[in-house]
Amino acid sequence: MSQYFVRFSPKQRIEHVTVMIVFIVLSVTGLPQKFFEYEISRWVLDALGGVDRARWWHRAAGLTFAGFAIFHFSGLIWSVLDGSSRLPLVPTRKDFADAILQLRYYLGLTEQQARFDRYDYRQKFEYWGLVLGSVVVIATGIILMWPTIATTWLPGQFVPAAKVAHSNEGLLAFLVVVTWHIYNAHFNPDVFPFDTTIFTGRISRERMHHEHPLELERLEHAADSASTRHGDGAA
Amino acid sequence: MLLPLILVLVLLAQTAPALAQPPGIDDCLACHEDRSLEISLPSGETRSLAIDRAAFLGSVHGDKLTCVDCHTDITGVPHEARPLRSRREFSLAYYESCKRCHFANYTKTLDSVHYAAASRGDTTAPLCVDCHGAHDVAVPGQPRERISRTCARCHEGVLAIYAKSVHGTALKTGNADVPTCTDCHRSHDVGGPHAANWRAHTPELCASCHGDEELMKKYGLSTAVHRTYLSDFHGMTVSLRSSHGDEGRTVVARCTDCHGVHDISKVDDPQSKVLKANLVQTCRQCHADASDNFPDAWLSHYEPSWSRAPLVYAVELAYKFLIPFMIGGLLLQILLHLWRVVVNR
Repeated sequence: MSQYFVRFSPKQRIEHVTVMIVFIVLSVTGLPQKFFEYEISRWVLDALGGVDRARWWHRAAGLTFAGFAIFHFSGLIWSVLDGSSRLPLVPTRKDFADAILQLRYYLGLTEQQARFDRYDYRQKFEYWGLVLGSVVVIATGIILMWPTIATTWLPGQFVPAAKVAHSNEGLLAFLVVVTWHIYNAHFNPDVFPFDTTIFTGRISRERMHHEHPLELERLEHAADSASTRHGDGAA
Repeated sequence: MLLPLILVLVLLAQTAPALAQPPGIDDCLACHEDRSLEISLPSGETRSLAIDRAAFLGSVHGDKLTCVDCHTDITGVPHEARPLRSRREFSLAYYESCKRCHFANYTKTLDSVHYAAASRGDTTAPLCVDCHGAHDVAVPGQPRERISRTCARCHEGVLAIYAKSVHGTALKTGNADVPTCTDCHRSHDVGGPHAANWRAHTPELCASCHGDEELMKKYGLSTAVHRTYLSDFHGMTVSLRSSHGDEGRTVVARCTDCHGVHDISKVDDPQSKVLKANLVQTCRQCHADASDNFPDAWLSHYEPSWSRAPLVYAVELAYKFLIPFMIGGLLLQILLHLWRVVVNR
């Protein structure tokens, strides 16, 4: 009865699962260090085998994350160079217009809703938030991991500043995930209880029509003009 | 049947005191006041057996105890021969005399590094009398300088260093606030860096004075030192490790690692290990490859502010606005979305 489209490639799905696992490890081992004076933090760190072991895991996960960031961006640069990517996540003027329109719709000022392409402004916002946050935590994490080497080039004050930035950026990322991301992937009435697309890669035509109408039109137009169904779309 | 028993008891009660009348001080001093009284020991040492009457009567025990209260093994004249080979064995033989009255302090000594040394077979480890004296016991710690002099009988080198420190020089002027040996190391359950967890508890030890608002005000010192230490990487690590009950494989700086131990000086003293000009050398004790920039990574116990650490303060301030702004905005969007969903139904 219903048709499915492949929204995410296996590479993208693996990236998501990896970032998810790494993010959980970093949060569990990092937040108790930021809030070390709380009893619960001590309990968590004890359960992990002490602060030194927790730090080992935090650094291992951090380096894994940094490695994945390099992998992700080198792949992105490569796909731009060979022309295979349309850079669907680059913010455009339309995203700002969409955001304003959508807010007006939520407030009941208009009955017209924004129509989105492959990624809507919220998804772009979250992606770029993650990118900027990653730059901050990776750069400051490197300073904190090798403070003596870092201060051969940088003034000493960069080390405590890096500590403040690293822990606050981590906290911000954690809060964004537990509010915004969990809401959009689980509690949003459109997808409740669980948006499985990022794990299975599949999205229904119905949801495409509802959430990404412009992409759907483009895909179906391309398929029509090639007079075959979009290669990996039929199910 | 009962009557003969009572008779026997009455007879015993009448005769007993007469048989075992304990000798008074005068009875003992009849012989022991003789200055030439001494014995030769198998070790080749001689041991004077003379007692200074005035010294004993002037001691804290002078009006309370008689000789046999401590010398309980002396039951008759002439005294039973004792197989003591050296002067030290004399002291060791009477080691447990004090505990009959001073039981609490005696049990504390069982936790001391001194007792640990003694139980390893070190006969030079101090006994009660080595610190307090035997016949001339005085009130300990009066004047306070006496304490460091007492410890210096063995720990001579430490006193020489301590005497030049900020604490030691103040002690000489009669200052009653500065710590002397026993304030940090305790008196009966004497501890030191060899004791388990000693290093981990250093910050609390220093904070017992340096965290005391009233006391520090007298000297114009800040009590923020403990708090700022704990909120920094070193202090947080020490605190987390000690609550987990391990010291970790790597050393993390505690108060004494930067400020020194017995040689602590004022922070503006040219010799101070934490003076700006000397700080990089202090950092290099652990961070061997520290550059000249590195000491600035430590904010010298100051809270970040525009004048002290503007970069750190700016970053702190930025996140104080950014986090509530971002999360507040996102939550607002979620609520608006949900509200619209409800309205649409």
